[in-house]
Amino acid sequence: MTITAAVVVPAGILFPESLLHSQWFAILATFVAINTVMYAALALAKILPKLHPSDWIRTRNERSETRSIHPDADH
Amino acid sequence: MRKGRFNRAVGIFIALTAGGAAALLWFAVAAGGPALSESPSHGFFFGFWSILYNTDAPAPRIILAAIAMALLLAAGVAAVDRRIANRSRRSSDPLTGPLAPRVVMAATRGEYAGPVRVTVLIPAHNEEASLPLTIASLLEQSRRPDRVIVVADNCSDATVSLALEAGVEVIESVDNTQKKAGALNQVLKELLPELGDNDVVMVMDADTRLDDGFLAAAVDRFANDRALMAVGGLFYGEEGHGLIGQFQRNEYLRYSREIGRRRGRVFVLTGTASMFRSRALRTVAASRGSSIPGTPGYVYDTAALTEDNELTIALKSLGGLMISPAQCTVVTELMPSWRTLWAQRLRWQRGALENIGAYGITPPTLRYWAQQLGIGYGVIALGSYLLLIFLMVFALDTWIWFPFWLGLGALFMVERVATVWKGGWRARLLAVTLFPELFFDMFLNVVYLKGVADISLGRTASWKHVTPVRIREATGAERP
Repeated sequence: MTITAAVVVPAGILFPESLLHSQWFAILATFVAINTVMYAALALAKILPKLHPSDWIRTRNERSETRSIHPDADH
Repeated sequence: MRKGRFNRAVGIFIALTAGGAAALLWFAVAAGGPALSESPSHGFFFGFWSILYNTDAPAPRIILAAIAMALLLAAGVAAVDRRIANRSRRSSDPLTGPLAPRVVMAATRGEYAGPVRVTVLIPAHNEEASLPLTIASLLEQSRRPDRVIVVADNCSDATVSLALEAGVEVIESVDNTQKKAGALNQVLKELLPELGDNDVVMVMDADTRLDDGFLAAAVDRFANDRALMAVGGLFYGEEGHGLIGQFQRNEYLRYSREIGRRRGRVFVLTGTASMFRSRALRTVAASRGSSIPGTPGYVYDTAALTEDNELTIALKSLGGLMISPAQCTVVTELMPSWRTLWAQRLRWQRGALENIGAYGITPPTLRYWAQQLGIGYGVIALGSYLLLIFLMVFALDTWIWFPFWLGLGALFMVERVATVWKGGWRARLLAVTLFPELFFDMFLNVVYLKGVADISLGRTASWKHVTPVRIREATGAERP
């Protein structure tokens, strides 16, 4: 891109604005967009209370034997 | 030597995998033919001023696919992590999992090995400035430790006399050239045979202070579960050091919050303060050189730059149960300058890579591999984001508002603030401004890249060799 061309087309500060309409810039923009949305989804997951699906299933919480250091302790 | 070791290849493997994932996405986007950007339109906002805005946003199906992919990846890593932990927890094979709960329970069933006694080891290398406060924080605990030993390693200052003044024991390392891990190995070699099954060893840094209640909570856990092999501390940053201090405090706050959300499931048994049942350390020492790397008979692998991370992976590899309870908190020293922070983080990064390289890809290390890959991908994502912003800003002569991206920005802002909420208004203020923390992340990303490059090129970590020699000479001159 020559300087003359940059003057004729709508000019940016450093690069010509046409740069923003090129194919590779569109790919970069979409690449960044997908990544940003992915990180946003993770950010949202970090704000919301964490789910522990294992809590929803009733399990036998009683231990079959004590794990205390005292062999005769209640479990 | 053991199969599956990566050594230097760990850096190249991580770089290729993270880069490969990014390249795959890039080509997928290119193949799909992305929509070219539309020209912005003029809008009228509140009837007062005319602004340029652009309604560009990715197509809904792309947004949905990206959200699904991110959540699936996160859930996938969590599910695999959980599954592996459960499998090792239920193992009853004393050969593959000598520290697995069932094995330990079978070995200690029906016997009472006495009450839990706590021996604290404080490795110290010229720590006269912070050691007195560290010792005081131990002696002021509601449940006091039974024994406190300062492991003085090549000290040339008042560390030894200050420790003796405070009324605790001092053991000086003998001809140790392997820093903290070497000094601890010497003491543990003598100490471990004296300890019973219910005795625990706490290893804590001399620049760390325990919050009250740490020992009481940890001892309670050890007493209630004889299969519990380790209790790790949750660290938060001390006050002070201005902006760079606040960056680190925010980082530590988020880390602690994450561990809390994992219900105390451990990433790393922090070197700042962690407790180990004697059986755990004895088994690690006995397994070194065979099922885990290191020198037979020694607890710490002196080849590891981050010995706390290495010991965590060792215990997990042997099937040991561990937890970081919310009550076990410690205050730790922060790096006061960018130079010292750079050195600290490069050591952590290099150490983390060497540790997983030494163990290879095994079920207990999968979580750590995923973490390294995650940071690697983050480096590419943040880098391409900044490049895009840079190009946009310098290719447009008018400011254009993108409502969709502003909305996402607001979401990130909420996330940053919510995750440091406990840290008070300073933490929240720094988080809400978003860009300073992005800059800090970028700094850590550069450290990450340097670590990956260094290990791939086989550069030796120079700080390994400089200090000990000089200090030993100085100590030699002072000692009789």
